[in-house]
Amino acid sequence: MSIQDMLLDSFNIMRKDLLETTRSKMTLALMVIMPLLLMLMFGFIYPNNASMPQNLPVAVIDLSHSQDSASFLAQLQWLSNNSVKMDFHTVGSVDEARKMIDQGKINGAIIVPEGFEQAVSQGKSANVTVLYDNSNPQVGAQVMAEASGLIGGVSGMKSAVTVMQLGAKANETLDPQAVLNPYSANAQGTIPGSNYFDFLAPGMLIMVVMMSAMTGIPEGISQEKERGTFDGVLSAPISPVSVIIGKTVALTLGGFVQGIIIMILAVTLFGVHIQGSILLAFFLLFLGVFSFIGLGILFTSIAGDQKNSIMLINILIFPMMFLSGIMFPIQQMPWFMQWLSELIPVTYAADAMRKVMILNAGLQDVLPQIAILAVFGIITMAIALPVFKRSMTK
Amino acid sequence: MPVANAIELRNLTKKFGNFTAVDDLSLTVKDGEIFGFLGPNGAGKSTTIRMLCTLARPTSGSASIAGFDLVKEPAEVRKKIGLVSEKMIMYEQLTAAENLRFFGRLHKMPKAKAESRIDDLLGLVNMAEWKNTQVKKFSTGMRQRINVIRALLPEPNIVFMDEPTLGLDPQTTLAIRDIIRDINNKGTTVILTTHAMVEAEALSDRIAIIDHGKIAAMDTPHELKKLVSNGEAKIFDMRIPNLTPFLTDRIRSLDCVAGIAQDDAYDLKISAKGGDAIEEIVKMVMKEGGKIEMINTHEPSLEDVFLMVTGKEMRDAVSDKNATPEFHDHMDAPKSRVR
Repeated sequence: MSIQDMLLDSFNIMRKDLLETTRSKMTLALMVIMPLLLMLMFGFIYPNNASMPQNLPVAVIDLSHSQDSASFLAQLQWLSNNSVKMDFHTVGSVDEARKMIDQGKINGAIIVPEGFEQAVSQGKSANVTVLYDNSNPQVGAQVMAEASGLIGGVSGMKSAVTVMQLGAKANETLDPQAVLNPYSANAQGTIPGSNYFDFLAPGMLIMVVMMSAMTGIPEGISQEKERGTFDGVLSAPISPVSVIIGKTVALTLGGFVQGIIIMILAVTLFGVHIQGSILLAFFLLFLGVFSFIGLGILFTSIAGDQKNSIMLINILIFPMMFLSGIMFPIQQMPWFMQWLSELIPVTYAADAMRKVMILNAGLQDVLPQIAILAVFGIITMAIALPVFKRSMTK
Repeated sequence: MPVANAIELRNLTKKFGNFTAVDDLSLTVKDGEIFGFLGPNGAGKSTTIRMLCTLARPTSGSASIAGFDLVKEPAEVRKKIGLVSEKMIMYEQLTAAENLRFFGRLHKMPKAKAESRIDDLLGLVNMAEWKNTQVKKFSTGMRQRINVIRALLPEPNIVFMDEPTLGLDPQTTLAIRDIIRDINNKGTTVILTTHAMVEAEALSDRIAIIDHGKIAAMDTPHELKKLVSNGEAKIFDMRIPNLTPFLTDRIRSLDCVAGIAQDDAYDLKISAKGGDAIEEIVKMVMKEGGKIEMINTHEPSLEDVFLMVTGKEMRDAVSDKNATPEFHDHMDAPKSRVR
C-alpha cells in the first residue's frame, strides 16, 4: 500500500469524522462552550489587582488622646482617602474592636497606643499596633500590607519634614527622597502590561487542544468498535494507520477551532497581548497533539471498551493539567513534582507556546522543546501503533 | 475460467482463552455458490465470518479467500470481499448517500462510477427517494437495506452476510433474499450465516450445520434432508371439514399409519410408512363418508436434520434475538467473544 493511498484514506476518514461532527449540534455547541467556560473559570478565580477588595472596613482606636495622635490619624485618613483601600471606623476600645472583628464587621484595627505622644516628643520611634483577622488569611494579609503601607506613608511624610528642617539648620539643601531612600528599585517586566492571563492563555490553548484530541481518540475508536462501523472500515482495503491519522487530524482541527475561540476571548475579554507568530503557535499546537496522541492510542488499545479507555485517559489528563505549568508555574512546585513535570510532554508544549505567543520567540528559540516533543511523539507512536493494530483484530 | 474455490478453510481454529469458538474447521466454498452456515447463537458462525473478513486473527490453521491467504495477504483479501454484519455498518449522522460514498472512497471507487452505482443500488432496494436523508431517521428495515447495498457497492467477488434478515419485517426479508439471489446469479459468491431454517433452505446451494465450532453436517439442503427421510416415515397434513373422532380412530387403525396429531377441529398431521400409505388413508376416509379438502405432504425439514445431527432442538429465533438459548452448554463464555 503506497503512502499516497494511505494519506488519501486518512483524508477520507478525516472528512467523514468532520462531517459527523458538524451534524451534531450538541457537539458543536460543546466545542464552543468548553473553552469559554475554562477561560472564564480560570480567568476569574485567580486574584489580580482589579479583583482586590476595596474599602476594607478597619477600626481606628486612639488610646493616646493627644495632639500628636490626632494629627497622625488625620494624615492616615488623608492618605487612605487617596488610595481608597480602607474604610475607617473610630472605635473606643481594643476589646470593642476585637469583638467587631469576631463578628465579621471589620477586617482589622489600627491602634495608637498610650505613650504614643511621649515617644514622639522624646524623639523615639512611636509604635502603632495593627490588628488583623487571621481567620481569613488573604484579607488579613491585605489589611496588614495596606496598614503598614499607610503607616509607612505617614512616616515618610514626617521624615521628609524632619529632613528639610535639619537641612535648613545646617544651611544645606537636602533632597528628602535621596536621604531616606538612597537606593530605589525600578522593577519592569519584559512584556509591558502583561498579566496573569498572558501566562494562562498559551497553556490554556495547549490544554484544550490536548483534551479535545485525548478524549476524542478513545471515544471515537471505541464508539466505532462498539457500534460495529469499524468492521466496515477495517474490512475495506485500507491500513489501520490511516484510521488513526484521519481521526487524529479531524480531532486536532476541532481543537484548533477551540484554540481560535480561546485566542479571540483572551485578546478581547482579558487583554492578552499576542506578540509572536500565530503560524508558529499552530505548528506547536499540532506538534503538541502529536506528542501525546501516541499515549492516547496506546491506552485506548489496552482499555478495550469506551468506559475504561476514558477513565485511563483521565488518569493521563489530570497530571498533565496540573503538573505541566499551564496553571501554576513549575518553579513553585517541590523538586519531585518539578521532576515529574519534566516527564510530561505538555510541559514543553506549554512552555514553547508561552515563549512564542507572549515573548515573541522565533523557531530557533523553541527548537529544544520542538525536538523533545517530536522525539516523545515518535517513541510513543512506535509503541502504540502495533498494539493498536493487534487490538483491532482480536 | 476454471471453477475455482472462492474460499478454502484449512483447520481454521479460533480460541478465546480456554473457550474454542471455531474448532478445526475445514471446508471449501466454490466460486458462485451460496453457502449457508446454520447453527444456534454462539455456534461459531460469526467468529468464522469475522476471521474470513480479516477482522479477527485465527489462533491456528489457515484460509484462502479468492486465492489470497487470509493471514499473509489481508490487504488483497479485503479488495475481494463485502461484509453485511449483524451490527449495521453505517453512521447515524450521515445520509444514505454519504455513508455509501464514504465506503466507496475507502474501496478506491472512481467517483462517477460510485455515484451511478449508489443510484442503481438505492433504486434496487426502493430507497432512491431517501438518498439524502440521515440514516438516523430510518426504520430498521430501511437501515438493513442500506447495510446490504453498502457491502455490494464495490462489487465484491465474495459477500459475507451475517444474519442479514435478523429481526426484519417479512417484506424487507423477502426483498433482501431477492437481492442475494440476484447478485448470486451475476456470479457473486455468498456466504450466509443464519439461524433461520427457512432462509438457509431457501437460499443456500450448500449448508454447513455447525455447532460448538465444528461442522455437524454439510451438504445440499436436499441431501441433508435425505439423511432424515431415507426409509423413514412420510409426514403429511390432511384437512377433513366433517372430521369426527370416529373417523380419526378409523384412520389410526390402519397398519400404515404410525401416528396422528390433531391440530384443530379439522386438520390432521399424519405420519405414515409405505408407498401406498396416502392411497390407503384416502380410501378409508371416503369409505367412512369423510370429505377431503386438502392433502399436503410434509417433507422432513432442516429442523429435523438439525435435531438428528446435533441431538438438540434448533429454535428459530429470528423474531427473538435476545432469547437465551438454553440448550447451549458453553454459555459461560464471555458474551462479547461468542458473537
